[in-house]
Amino acid sequence: MKIDDNKHIDQQASLDANVEDQIARNIVELLDSRAQKLRDEHSLRLAEARSLAIGRLVSQEAQLAASHSIHRSGHTLQWFGGRFGHYFEQHRIFSTLLVVCVMLLTFFAVQQFSVNHQIENSDAFLLASDLPPEAYADKGFTAWLDTN
Amino acid sequence: MATPKELSDFLAATERRAFKQTAYAVRDDHAALDIVQDAMMKLADKYGAQPVSEFPMLFQRILQNTMRDYWRRQKVRNLWTTLLSSFGGSADDNEDRDPLDTIDVGDDGDEPSVQIARSQTIALIERALEKLPARQREAFVLRYWEEMDVAETAEIMGCSDGSVKTHCSRAVHALAVELRKQGLDKLGLSNVTLNGPR
Repeated sequence: MKIDDNKHIDQQASLDANVEDQIARNIVELLDSRAQKLRDEHSLRLAEARSLAIGRLVSQEAQLAASHSIHRSGHTLQWFGGRFGHYFEQHRIFSTLLVVCVMLLTFFAVQQFSVNHQIENSDAFLLASDLPPEAYADKGFTAWLDTN
Repeated sequence: MATPKELSDFLAATERRAFKQTAYAVRDDHAALDIVQDAMMKLADKYGAQPVSEFPMLFQRILQNTMRDYWRRQKVRNLWTTLLSSFGGSADDNEDRDPLDTIDVGDDGDEPSVQIARSQTIALIERALEKLPARQREAFVLRYWEEMDVAETAEIMGCSDGSVKTHCSRAVHALAVELRKQGLDKLGLSNVTLNGPR
């Protein structure tokens, strides 16, 4: 008896679900027909909104394409950087010593060049001067120059 | 990534329904148009890279969220209006609206009497739909009008499958009761009867 009752309740629930579904379908069919007959102003406004959205998508695609081309042109530099970067990463101590040596060599080369240049300038000045070189070594001459 | 044509086709197929659904929810055609436009822009902006097959669900979710944003803004605006003015309009102004005023007789090629009966029915349904609680209307629209399954509807609404079923059942029952009250049986929508809420 109880089983029969349960079966009856299930059948009733199923029937209700079917009835609900049928009512809903009928209602939606009518709503759909109304939705297809919008006022012209509303249809126009929706078409405008749609074209705006599509314009947005198109501009996004253009931006994406531009960023891809920039990325591609950076590939060559990235390749070189990657190669050298990888090498220096593998030989850290050697790389540091190499850099220090290069810096020291540069420093001494610059120093040497500037000292030689100064000596050359003083020699040229003494040789081209009207006074003999001994005059510049004489302290009395310097005092005489100061008094006159 | 969806092509502009695919997006255009999708929106063209959806926009009218989306507009009507939004209009039933916010009861303001201009606001509904703004909301639909916002939803379209958001879909193109944020989800243009998604496959077209995901558009229906994404668009519905965006639309529902945009509606909620609108209601929140309206709530704040109404609060300020109430605070600043004692001349606020009554919320029940629409109660006196005559359904016959909204009848839009289309050119269906049917008999005029049939067209009028159909238009009256639709106007009554629209009013009944507007009267539904927001969650019930949302569930009804997504489940039956957008033909989504229970799981998809639940995901968009952010609730359980059981809640969706309950909301749908209550919505259909409320609509049937409301329409019967309006004498819909005479208008020929429903040759079915409902046994009451479960």
